[in-house]
Amino acid sequence: MSSPTELALTILALPLLAAILAAIFSCTPFRAAANWPLIGACALAAALALILVGQIASATGSRAVSDAITWFQAGKLQVHFTLTIDPLSAIMLAMITFIATWIALFSTGYMHGDPGFGRYFAIMSLFVFSMCGLVLANNFLLLVAFWEGVGLCSYLLVGYYFEKPSAAAAARKAFLVTRIGDTGFIIGIFLLWKLGGWHTDLTALFDHIQQNRPDEATLTTALLCLFCGAVGKSAQFPLYVWLPDAMEGPTPVSALIHAATMVTAGVYLLARCAPVFAISPVAQCTVAWIGGITALLAAFLALGQYDLKRVLAYSTVSQLGFMFVALGTLGAIHPAFAVTAAIFHLFTHAFFKALLFLAAGSVMHAMGGVIDMRRFGGLRQLLPITHITFLCGAAALAGIPLLSGFWSKDLILEALTEASESASPYTAAYFVLLGVALLTAFATAFYTFRAYFLTFWGEQKVPDEAGHHAHESPRIMTIPLLILAIGAVFVGIVAEPFTHWFSNFLGETPSLQQAAVMAHSPVPEHHFNWSIALLSSLLALGGVGIAYALYRKGGPEELPGGVAPIFALSRNKLYIEDAYEAAIVEPVTGLAGLARVCDGLLDAITRLVSSLPRFVGQWLRPMQNGLVQFYALSMTLGLVVFVAFVMFRVAR
Amino acid sequence: MVATTRILVLLLVVVPLMSAVLVPLCGHLARRMALWLALLHLTLTTIVVLTSLPVLNLRAETELSATSPDVHRFRPLFVPGDISGSEGASGRTGWTLMRLSTSVEYPDRGGPNFQFYLGVDGLNIWLVALASLMVIPAILVSWNSVRERPGAYHGWLFLLQGAAIGAFLAFDILLFYVFFELTLIPAFFLIGHWGMGSGRRDAARKFFLYTLAGSLLTLIGVVGVVITNPGPDGAITFSLPDLMANVQLKLNTAQHELLNGRPELLTQLQQTQFWLFLGMMAGFLVKVPVWPFHTWLPAAYGEAPTGVTILLSALLAKLGTFGILRFVLPLTPDAAIQYGLPVLGTLAAFGIVYAALCAYAQSDIKLMIAYSSVSHLGFLVLGLFAFNTEGLSGAVLHMVNHGLSTGGLFAMTVFLTDRYRTTLMSQFGGLMGRYPNFAILTFVLCLASIGLPGLNNFVSEMLMLGGLFDARNPRSPGFGLAVVAAIGILLSAWYILTMLQRIFFNPLREPQAVLPESTDLSGREWLVLGLLAGLCLLLGLLPQPILDSMRWDIHQLATIGHEARIRVAG
Repeated sequence: MSSPTELALTILALPLLAAILAAIFSCTPFRAAANWPLIGACALAAALALILVGQIASATGSRAVSDAITWFQAGKLQVHFTLTIDPLSAIMLAMITFIATWIALFSTGYMHGDPGFGRYFAIMSLFVFSMCGLVLANNFLLLVAFWEGVGLCSYLLVGYYFEKPSAAAAARKAFLVTRIGDTGFIIGIFLLWKLGGWHTDLTALFDHIQQNRPDEATLTTALLCLFCGAVGKSAQFPLYVWLPDAMEGPTPVSALIHAATMVTAGVYLLARCAPVFAISPVAQCTVAWIGGITALLAAFLALGQYDLKRVLAYSTVSQLGFMFVALGTLGAIHPAFAVTAAIFHLFTHAFFKALLFLAAGSVMHAMGGVIDMRRFGGLRQLLPITHITFLCGAAALAGIPLLSGFWSKDLILEALTEASESASPYTAAYFVLLGVALLTAFATAFYTFRAYFLTFWGEQKVPDEAGHHAHESPRIMTIPLLILAIGAVFVGIVAEPFTHWFSNFLGETPSLQQAAVMAHSPVPEHHFNWSIALLSSLLALGGVGIAYALYRKGGPEELPGGVAPIFALSRNKLYIEDAYEAAIVEPVTGLAGLARVCDGLLDAITRLVSSLPRFVGQWLRPMQNGLVQFYALSMTLGLVVFVAFVMFRVAR
Repeated sequence: MVATTRILVLLLVVVPLMSAVLVPLCGHLARRMALWLALLHLTLTTIVVLTSLPVLNLRAETELSATSPDVHRFRPLFVPGDISGSEGASGRTGWTLMRLSTSVEYPDRGGPNFQFYLGVDGLNIWLVALASLMVIPAILVSWNSVRERPGAYHGWLFLLQGAAIGAFLAFDILLFYVFFELTLIPAFFLIGHWGMGSGRRDAARKFFLYTLAGSLLTLIGVVGVVITNPGPDGAITFSLPDLMANVQLKLNTAQHELLNGRPELLTQLQQTQFWLFLGMMAGFLVKVPVWPFHTWLPAAYGEAPTGVTILLSALLAKLGTFGILRFVLPLTPDAAIQYGLPVLGTLAAFGIVYAALCAYAQSDIKLMIAYSSVSHLGFLVLGLFAFNTEGLSGAVLHMVNHGLSTGGLFAMTVFLTDRYRTTLMSQFGGLMGRYPNFAILTFVLCLASIGLPGLNNFVSEMLMLGGLFDARNPRSPGFGLAVVAAIGILLSAWYILTMLQRIFFNPLREPQAVLPESTDLSGREWLVLGLLAGLCLLLGLLPQPILDSMRWDIHQLATIGHEARIRVAG
């Protein structure tokens, strides 16, 4: 139980065991106890993960790779079950299990009395298992296995309220849209497999590419295909459309899967593949631009939403875009710095976004399932703990100075500044992206506090669904809120700005060192960029200030004349989804109908061919008429023709 | 031990054929009798599999490291009637059914012998196991639905099974052909007589004539291969290992000539191969089926009683792909390299997308699964013609996997037809709440079918994709085909999830039930669906024993492919 590998295997085994137990419980009278396996497993796993982090931190630069167990192999395709434990996977593991513990606890209260209680916890446990496997996997196809595993759990949980048609449609959409990305992902893996000396193990593959540098164009193609997977999973433009719809699932699911963990898998994937991304500037720049476009677009879409959870969903998309922007700089500046910026934001984001979702869940719980901000308001007195914790989360997300979101966002902005001054061929692009990021930061502060004011300020308004006894959530739900609120406020300041603990720890990751060697990056120097920090603080406070000015009286929303159409555009999602519907979904559906018609035609042709012998037979049948005279005549005629033919041929 | 196993191998074919005679005589006990006989057969198969596995693994471990021989041929194990006596293993049989001619020049050897030449190797052992296993779901799902002359029904089922197993085990090319054609007769009667819809007779006739037309061309191809590949001493043979050796010797000679500046012989051989390839492929293309020769399939699968559909999709479709694997690839390797991926691969890739689109547009679940089967098998054909270790291993594994998952999906529709007499998607909704256990097992089977990792199809699909990416066939768009195949996996998720959404999600909607009270899975249904879903999971997690056991045989084929690739590239 002492070596990192054994610890990691134990952490992986615990939620799997929980899933099996919960599944068994849900078939027995112990159904109401189906939550305990998950809570216990996550708590224990979180403790072990912290020990693991400690072990790795004490033995710097260590990477443990577990023994390879063959999953399947034939010819050159050899797929193993093997895990890597390094600072990157350890910190992810600790984050996932820690957040999952509190969300599991919250779910106990939230899902209380639900007929699918056992099913819910079984799938949640399976999800935690797959997510832990995803961050530990050291083999591309094993990674895909867990990657699809989390996707499956997401599908099942989004469609948890299966009787709701909207939930059913959202579940299918979530699976299919991510599957589009996954198709690219798999192609990318096989291209890398070809380039990387027929290895599927990440470490071996990267080592091989380091030794035998492949042609850059081919490598870039492979990396962009790989990136497709990340785009799908992490809901980036143009495949972000599934995430807002995925809010149909129970709110704790949104908190865990669609905010803190699964959607960050794409970010993690790119961080993990830093060594190969570091040598392809085109791929990096594409990643940065996709991230930048997504960040701004999603921030805009969040502006006008009335559904509290959708605001948070678009904000997640936007923040994930931020992380990709940081990852996009990883060859231009020192890879360890870029990845630290992205992963640190991922880390703090997990706290404050999970908190925001849980707080929204708490609101929803009190409001009898209503989440439309036009139908409630002024909940400050009614839900005091929810209000305070939501405020902590919102302030962290907005990037109010000294809160965790501020520090991590600042790191990303610094990375961009450095990239725009680097030797990369795309410095201008990074400079433009810096502007995009600042603009997004401003919009983020605004829409977050718009949601906050609309929900908690103004006159108290409660919908009919809530009944007459709308009240604060039970303690089992408020304790996780408080814990996560403390995290959202302090985790940033504790982990990074003064001690640089996080960046030092993560920087030791061997694959990041390798990336630095491959990209010939200069050694980074930590310096706090005061002007950037000041600018972003001003923008954040400005956003909050405008939101205060507009919404401090709560709803209904009153907008100055010129702005209303912009908000309407945002509410209609810029008509992007309608465009997808018209440009992709309907044509393909039409094509399917066409294929069906064609198949009928093909069948008709086959029938025609098969009826040919019968027609020939019918045509020839009159000749067999049984008249001896006719036969004699045809014999004579035939003979004449034959003889004439022979004579002319011979006589010629 | 060896002698006993030889008898068991013989029994694998004989028991179903005897059952086919025995069951119709049992009157009202026919169903139970059929189940017991099927279980007996499964026991025999298990023994054979367990006996052969160590031998096959040993062969892979010890012989692959040794120096490569000049010619690569299949070497069946446990051949009934082995000429080397009770414990030897020459891999040749002495059981001659017919001597076709007596040569004047070699009076002692006689003409080509049509032999009862059966045997086990890494390529067929799992397909035999599949054939043995899938009869059990077929019998169980027909338990209540087949009321008319159950004795005769089960008799035909066993004949179908026996013929399929015979074709899998055959190492005599003519014997294979006989068994291959024999499957048509039971299938014809089963569809035509016990079919579910009004179009059953038409469907049966179409199925029979279409596949017969194809396989008559295959017969021409088979005879052509036999005639054009006599041994070095001029002796004509039907034995597949000998034919393989002859083909390779001839090609080696031609290759030698080519190096000496005389390319004519090789060109001539390759031209001959092209026609033989075309001839042999005709029947297999129809049987698989590959687009555009699939039009018999929706009608046949849709009209057949579901028990029979399970066997059609799990076994008969595999006869086509198995024929390609066993005969086309080793006997016309150059043509398979030249025309396999570029021509047939393109057809198959087109078929993957086309059939997936057709599947989406179906309103009947059974027809949707039928089209999805066409789509999946297109992928399999691509894997075969990649003609390398990864592609071939994936293809053989996929034959088993596809049999299990598609068979399972068809078995799933019986749950609905038994209760509601319909499989129209529009009639259902929200069944997840009504039948939770049924929903779980159906989800597993559906997810297996869309290639979710951890379930069986993922492994074989990844291997086939790897094979396509590794394919270095000259003129072959391996990469493009791989992309189409990957898109095929995406499309399969599209139609399967749409089906799941329609029938399991949304508010409850169900048609008029047949029985007053319809309940969740019965014990019998648990057994069928649970068994198949469980196997899908098992093979998804632990596929390596299967891959290990076929390593030696795949290596022989892949080497043949490799050499052909060198010859074709020039």
